[in-house]
Amino acid sequence: MAAKEKIVSREFPEYIRDPNPDVGLDETIKDLKPEQIEKTIMAVLGAQTARIRGIMETCIHCGLCSEACQWYLSSGKDPTFAPVAKMKMTVWEMLKRKGKVDAEFIKQTARIVFTECNICHRCSMYCPYGLDITFIIGLVRRVCFILGVVPQRMMDQDHSHATVLNQVWYTQNDWIDTVQWQEEEVGAEFKNLRIPIDKDGAEVLWFPLGGEPKTNTYHIERTAKLMMAAGVDWTVSGRDTWDTSNMAMFLRDFTTMNRVVRGLYDNAARLRVKKMVLTE
Amino acid sequence: MLDFIRDPSLYTLVRGPLVWIAFLVFIGMSVYKVRRMYLMAKNDPTLLPSIKPPAVRKSILHWIFPFGSRNWRMRWPVTITTFVFHIGLVFTPIFLLSHNVLWYESWGVSWWSLPEKAADVMTFLVIVTSVIFLMRRIFAPEVRFVSSGDDFLILAISFFPFLTGFLAYHEWLLPYKAMVILHILFGAAMLIAIPFTRLAHMFYFFMTRALMGSQTAGWGGKDW
Repeated sequence: MAAKEKIVSREFPEYIRDPNPDVGLDETIKDLKPEQIEKTIMAVLGAQTARIRGIMETCIHCGLCSEACQWYLSSGKDPTFAPVAKMKMTVWEMLKRKGKVDAEFIKQTARIVFTECNICHRCSMYCPYGLDITFIIGLVRRVCFILGVVPQRMMDQDHSHATVLNQVWYTQNDWIDTVQWQEEEVGAEFKNLRIPIDKDGAEVLWFPLGGEPKTNTYHIERTAKLMMAAGVDWTVSGRDTWDTSNMAMFLRDFTTMNRVVRGLYDNAARLRVKKMVLTE
Repeated sequence: MLDFIRDPSLYTLVRGPLVWIAFLVFIGMSVYKVRRMYLMAKNDPTLLPSIKPPAVRKSILHWIFPFGSRNWRMRWPVTITTFVFHIGLVFTPIFLLSHNVLWYESWGVSWWSLPEKAADVMTFLVIVTSVIFLMRRIFAPEVRFVSSGDDFLILAISFFPFLTGFLAYHEWLLPYKAMVILHILFGAAMLIAIPFTRLAHMFYFFMTRALMGSQTAGWGGKDW
């Protein structure tokens, strides 16, 4: 077997990675136009807001954030995985060139911000100034998202949220059907166990994550058992706004993010519940 | 060249108008920069309402003293270096006897001043820690990767006023008068550079910590 060829960055020779083919990055960059890239970058990152300028004008490049990053620690302390290095390779370079970067650079940027950062905010806990590096990485993700350069699976989840408001392409029928099926299943073990749908004025409104009705249906059954044992007056939403896993947030797709969260709160208001309980 | 630097009229120039310009630019631009940042923050609908004064106080105190936060304890050599550097950098110029004398000569005001020996040691420590920072920029891989020309420049800007001040005090290398003129030139350059470069972290520190302190408090988390 031949040795695997490595990808070496044009701009940053220290950035060496294994190839990681992804339709979402490799194909989408082919249609990008330079003016489109420039306009997007300047609109998102060039904005004169306190959150962006505060970070850009304060960071002293001390590298103290690096020890916070699990990517840095787990890759033999490779400096290109440090949080500040991710800012250097993406946003500093973009702003230094005033948005005049090519499609290949956007692909490299997308790889860094989507596949080498978990948006965990630990770096801002380690920064002496408390600079929110994750916030900047999130905005770079937004640039990539607007340009459509996003790993395919993440983009698919976002499309699912935009279409049916959950991440697993479940229609409202599928959801109600799954809940009723689980009620039936658990009925074999417990007498009178119900999974109330859209019960007005219940105390607790429970929201699952997308994966629960799709691949881990027993979670619903177990939640019902727990609620019964605890004697909680609970309900689930009968509308299609039941999924709390807001994958659109990880792309900084603000429109879809907003719709998902608004849908959850609308349910609570509609059913006049006291508490919302989420799986996590 | 040396004759030019030793010229009394040059001394009059740097001691008078140049220092005035430096202080005016430093104070005026710093006020402008902080105000600009505040106005931008005010434009953000969620930023100022999220600020919680008790959390801000806690966060700033947590990080402004050494070894309070986890990262200060983990990276103790850096912590010692940076605190020695910053204490010397901020307090030596303010409480130096010679500077106090200048204030007194000009405006008749003076305040407590450091013993000469202590000020000398602090200046020396600023020089040493600057060199450690330079070494760190060159040899620590994670710092070298993100260092560029302007990082070395701002280190130099804060280094040379202290080096020339130290040399002038001991009357080494150049005649006293010439070295003092260089010292004033570098000092003025530093004051002017503060609001325009990332040395502005001098006042932005309190603003960025205020935001992060309030955020961690909002999450019910600890300000590491």
